[in-house]
Amino acid sequence: MKLFLAIFLLSNIASGHEYVVVANKHMEDLSPSQIKAIFLKKLIVINDLQAVPINLDARDPLRAKFEQQILQMSFDRLQAHWTKEHYLGHRPPISLKSQESVKAFIKKVDGSIGYIEMDNMDDNLKILYKWSD
Amino acid sequence: MRKLLGMFILFISLHAQDYELGNGIQVGSLPLYLGGYFSLNYENKANEKKYNIDDLSVLGYGSYEKFSYMAEFEFHDLYSQNSVGDKTTIKRDTELHAERLYLDYEYNEHYTFRAGRYNSSIGFWNLLPINVLRPTTSDPKMQDLFPKFTTGADLTYASYDDNGYRIDLMLQNNEDLDPSYNNYTIDKLYGLGGVYEKDNYSIKLNGGYFHTKNTLDDNLYYFLLSAKYDVDDYEISSEIGRQESKKRVTTPYAGYLQGLYRFTPKHVGIVRLESYDDKLQNKSDTFGVLGYTYRPAYPIAIKSEYQFHTLNKENQFLFSVSVLF
Repeated sequence: MKLFLAIFLLSNIASGHEYVVVANKHMEDLSPSQIKAIFLKKLIVINDLQAVPINLDARDPLRAKFEQQILQMSFDRLQAHWTKEHYLGHRPPISLKSQESVKAFIKKVDGSIGYIEMDNMDDNLKILYKWSD
Repeated sequence: MRKLLGMFILFISLHAQDYELGNGIQVGSLPLYLGGYFSLNYENKANEKKYNIDDLSVLGYGSYEKFSYMAEFEFHDLYSQNSVGDKTTIKRDTELHAERLYLDYEYNEHYTFRAGRYNSSIGFWNLLPINVLRPTTSDPKMQDLFPKFTTGADLTYASYDDNGYRIDLMLQNNEDLDPSYNNYTIDKLYGLGGVYEKDNYSIKLNGGYFHTKNTLDDNLYYFLLSAKYDVDDYEISSEIGRQESKKRVTTPYAGYLQGLYRFTPKHVGIVRLESYDDKLQNKSDTFGVLGYTYRPAYPIAIKSEYQFHTLNKENQFLFSVSVLF
């Protein structure tokens, strides 16, 4: 029993948490560079669809992980980036409060892209990128 | 413009709870956002002091499906007080200028077409030229190599597959939408530019031709090489270019090398080395700029700088307060 518990705990520590960037099933494969460009509003159209990036709330820890992993920009640099984009006529991505809201939005709106924990993944979504802690 | 500005301030007041500085405000549920900026400057050089309200601008923009649009109107040098020795001159320029007015169409993930009046897609500095967004109060001299604004078309090809690269083709074969508000009065411009981005590096090359109406050397060619490395704590950038006419080399070189260090998000130090040789004005200079910017919030910039010139009479202190709202 103790051995089983030890193996169980060790396997969880080793695997860490996994996170995924997701879109609906119609989305074509995207590179991390393209995902970054979509979330920074440099890439507006994908596959003849308007790309709609979805952020989680600014205080959500997963958003910070995503910004570090994909955008590779600190919170302050991103604030500066969106202030500049306001002058250039571009708006930041919309924010939703929960991963469930993100999933529901992606299923309804073609071209939308968001990020969730792997544990919240379901068969109606397509994984574009995966990373772990 | 005063009515527009008043309406904008009233609109922000009514929607104060939704408003965030530097982020503009949406007009109801329309695909339209309003914003603006202003800049107050002070300049002290040799025997001359100048105070001015440099920019007072309102902008509106939005997007609908594959279209996006921008309109910006500005008072430039709305109020200017210039003191040379004991003599003081006050000027007021209440002419309203169309700074930017354009429509974009995103054909697909690679091609974008723009028509209207826009910041010329040349170099890096010219893309974010307003005081509150640029590193220092002063602009580098290399900005004089090319027209800051183009009225015409811009076709862009971009790719973000592994790295990013973009090619811009600018075309103007008509009068400027606002000919009095450009560093050159032009009626033709043909320019090509390419930028390559990988990780935190960017490199850009621009070249083109423009026809200006008010100078002896009216057919001018510009070339500009720009490079930037930008990370969280610091940025290193450099732009160097050349201008020629059909008759002669008008500016053999003009360029800068700049380092910017973000001590904290609110405190930024800038060091810039510039050099230029202007054959038209028969003037060449090499100078250093030391600058400091305090941003209590990013859309507010309180800047000071001192310039050390080889032409000693050009040594100057500049101070400015600018806000983007």
